[in-house]
Amino acid sequence: MGKLLTALLLIGLPLWAVAHHSTNANFTQEIISVDGVIERVRFQNPHASVLVKSTDEDGNETFWLIESGARTTLERQGVSLDILKIGSKVKATGRKGRREFTMYLQEIMFEDGTVFVPQPDLN
Amino acid sequence: MPVKILLIVLSVVGSVSAIAAEDFSGVWILSGPGTESEILLTEEGARIQSEYDLLVDDPSLYCTPASASRVWANPNALIKIEQTPSTLFISYELFDLRREIPFGDQSALSSQPSTRNLSGSYFPEMGSSFAYLEGEHLIIESGNHGPGFIRTSRGIPQSESTLTREELSLEDGVLKIVHTYEDPELFEKPLVLEYFFKRSDELDVALYECTDANYDWFNELNAEKSEAK
Repeated sequence: MGKLLTALLLIGLPLWAVAHHSTNANFTQEIISVDGVIERVRFQNPHASVLVKSTDEDGNETFWLIESGARTTLERQGVSLDILKIGSKVKATGRKGRREFTMYLQEIMFEDGTVFVPQPDLN
Repeated sequence: MPVKILLIVLSVVGSVSAIAAEDFSGVWILSGPGTESEILLTEEGARIQSEYDLLVDDPSLYCTPASASRVWANPNALIKIEQTPSTLFISYELFDLRREIPFGDQSALSSQPSTRNLSGSYFPEMGSSFAYLEGEHLIIESGNHGPGFIRTSRGIPQSESTLTREELSLEDGVLKIVHTYEDPELFEKPLVLEYFFKRSDELDVALYECTDANYDWFNELNAEKSEAK
């Protein structure tokens, strides 16, 4: 029984283990996308994030906080945010946050069509 | 002669207990979702829960531990355990917390919390603790807590009256921790949580350096935009 438990823990749970346990509390399951320009990239704990400025048809600007995992978590997964350059035009897609104008990042698409997916196991 | 025999017996007993004692030292990482007993809140516990707003009241927004079990149960954050004959040291990567727990009994409890961060701030949410071995299990008992939250996602509270017992055991290399929370003011019956950990290949916890955990800076950005219109 003990060995079975160990096997289940080692084999079955890595996917679960990458999820911050408060993700479901802070983000809905609704998937949304936002077009905009990268204003700031923060590679830090407890959450790495990308600040995107979105401008609507009337010229109104809104900042969106596109959050990801903790810096330490991303580093252990070999993930860097270096590809995200200030001023880049992007479409960010992810889970809508319970806070206004926030999202949990699933992917960022650049103008040339390339896609950055920092944590594919969470998508 | 009898003294010599007594010394030999004591020596043998000491050696056996040293062999039997489990070694919990090492770097660990949460490896499972754990389990939770039924939570039956008292009227006071339900009142505190009903007033809790995750988006505002979660202590994590201020780089503060909400409770001992919340800190243990943080995925992807390493935990280092070091045992000496007199002291149990637990380093939590989350919030750079360092917990120093004397081996002993209740007389070791004090008004000073056992946990501080690398900046030297102490956290009553983690309580004052002492540790002892019970067979092959390592027990940590804590009291003198500050108010906090055992479950931050649902606002399950702890109070100054909360007493906790953390029971650590090893099975086939898996570290199991059973947290038992007792607080008649908040719970109709003890709240029991179980978590499992596997050993990490890493030798130490990383520097966490919690920064801007709350959203004030972000909210101000959009507020400035609204005011500018």
